[in-house]
Amino acid sequence: MSPSRRRPRPILALVAANLRRQARDRTGLFFMLVMPFVTIAFVGLALGGGSDGGTRLPVGVVAGNDDPVAAAVLEELAASPNLDVERRDTEEEVRAGVREGRLAVGLLIPPGSTELELVMTQTNGTGMAARGAVDVAVGRVSAVLEATRAAEAAGATPEEAAASVRAAREDLAGVEARAPDDAGQGTDPRGFAYTAPANLVLFTFINSMAVAAALVETRRLGMVRRSLAAPVRPSTVLAGEALSRLVVAVGQALLIIVVSALMFDVSWGDPLGVAVVVGAFCLVATGAAMLVGSLVRSPSQAPAIGPPVGIVLGMLGGCLWPREVAGETLTTVGYLFPHAWAMDGLLTLARPGQGAGEVLVETAVLLGMAAVLLVVSLVVFRRRAMTMR
Amino acid sequence: MTDALVCQDLTKRFDHHLAVDSISLTIARGEAYGLLGPNGAGKTTTISMLSGLLRPDAGSVHVAGHALAQDPRAAKARIGYVPQEIALYPELTGRENLRYFGRLYGLARRALQYRIAEVLDLVGLTGRADDKVGDYSGGMQRRINIGAALLHEPTLLILDEPTVGVDPQSRNAILEGVDELVAGGMSLLYTSHYMEEVERVCQRVGIIDKGRLVAEGTKRELVSRLGTSDRVELVLDGDLTAAADKLRAVAGVTEAVPTGTSSLRLLAEGSRHLLPTFIGAVEGVATITGVEITEPDLEAAFLHLTGSTLRD
Repeated sequence: MSPSRRRPRPILALVAANLRRQARDRTGLFFMLVMPFVTIAFVGLALGGGSDGGTRLPVGVVAGNDDPVAAAVLEELAASPNLDVERRDTEEEVRAGVREGRLAVGLLIPPGSTELELVMTQTNGTGMAARGAVDVAVGRVSAVLEATRAAEAAGATPEEAAASVRAAREDLAGVEARAPDDAGQGTDPRGFAYTAPANLVLFTFINSMAVAAALVETRRLGMVRRSLAAPVRPSTVLAGEALSRLVVAVGQALLIIVVSALMFDVSWGDPLGVAVVVGAFCLVATGAAMLVGSLVRSPSQAPAIGPPVGIVLGMLGGCLWPREVAGETLTTVGYLFPHAWAMDGLLTLARPGQGAGEVLVETAVLLGMAAVLLVVSLVVFRRRAMTMR
Repeated sequence: MTDALVCQDLTKRFDHHLAVDSISLTIARGEAYGLLGPNGAGKTTTISMLSGLLRPDAGSVHVAGHALAQDPRAAKARIGYVPQEIALYPELTGRENLRYFGRLYGLARRALQYRIAEVLDLVGLTGRADDKVGDYSGGMQRRINIGAALLHEPTLLILDEPTVGVDPQSRNAILEGVDELVAGGMSLLYTSHYMEEVERVCQRVGIIDKGRLVAEGTKRELVSRLGTSDRVELVLDGDLTAAADKLRAVAGVTEAVPTGTSSLRLLAEGSRHLLPTFIGAVEGVATITGVEITEPDLEAAFLHLTGSTLRD
């Protein structure tokens, strides 16, 4: 008598078998469970270690302690939500800090002078953003000085002029001055707030590519052919293989989100937006893994090709270092690949008040890339699986 | 009851190469059928079409009455396919591999557990069920490879070279297992490079060559195509030509041909009884120093029908 049967669930059977295989790959587990967090921690600390969305830009200031202009400027800089004022003793310290990237900009305030010197590098996007915020702060001090001079020129005593300006400032307290390039809103965060999404993108892709080796092995062993001899459709077997890779990618991404939020206090932003961007990127990683797993012939080729490709794309996409370091050309080239779009989406969502509506373009591009990769890879995989032994 | 397998005019062409040319064969319920052929004869293509892995250009396949083309699920559910390679996940245990295939065939949880235990017992791997297949010996991998095709109790088991690369002891264990399955009433389609395996396991044999089924029947029927003559190799000292002439004159000898500087090949009926006659016939022209008698067998029939040996 035949054993009792139920409706076959080959997709679940395939996913369960593939996840078991993945769970027994110790090297793979190390790269999924340990390596991303080591990288997030070390690179994040090197980038300042911030975890609050990281929009406060460090500004080094050299100024005399008794100078009223310097005191006013320092007060305005400290009041800026986008700047973090760091007092330095010498001009050299400031210049070195800017040159080495520890400071976004530097501000030199000579005693008794109203001519301030801004120290920055031209190619540094963070510096440009900080300059905007500094300009606003200095502008406010300048306006007060001008108003005081005008009051004194009109015959007011210094005390009366100061009182008038103080009254005017209180009236204007509700008026918000904004940096010209929306400083802090148009720039990338720093510290863990940057390295967590960067490594989510990097490791989700790299580990998906590494998992492609298991797919090659499945083909080489003849498991796909044998599975197709069972009463299941070829499309079902293909869907099972693809879903297995997607589950690994989503698992990796979720792990990084949860652990980075708990360990590094990273704020990822709108959950729906993050889910959409991460989901779309996981589909891209799945498509890429399926394509590599379908094209290469030996299981050793997949890990030899996949991770290096993932690292190069990560470099172009800003996953290995802040994008502002890469320069305009490389950053533009990066937008040919999914990493840059995923980074854009995740960094946008990490800023306060941003939601899924602000990452529609990034999501659409990622979904388009995923669709192309998945369709091509499934066609190639089906052809190879049926012929390879 | 319908036959386990009926295929008619099965044809497959790859570009300009006709790989399988109008093959028809039937396997009755409980029958073991051996498919023999030299390399490149079309065995694997035929098996791929019979197991639903390759769509034929023409012809039909019915498994236990279910048309493979029209109702592939029902037909495939009645086939157990054992590929030539070890198609199992080496990282998973024997039990986990069996569970995977059982779920693929839709076995319910309780029934699956029961069948896994039964199959492990049948292939003699109960004690190693929870070890990784990658850690098994070659013979054990072959046995679990067969076991994975038995979980759903198929009507027809297709075994493609199931003993390739295993040691004699494991090979014997596999053949005993197959004997047990056949004795239990399972229908079998068996291909092998080992003629003695096919002779031992199968009741009927089909010989395939250049994509065509050139002969089919029981071992006795195929061998009888050679006639009833034995092949006798004689080693002699003396005049071979004269000896051949004298031996041709012996009643029952149909052929006597020199095959070397000191040997003759005879075709003779009842050669064992004629040995004293042979010795007397060549007296005076040669002396017989050695004799080898080969009775008609499947190997000889295969050679006769295909012009090559099975391992060519």
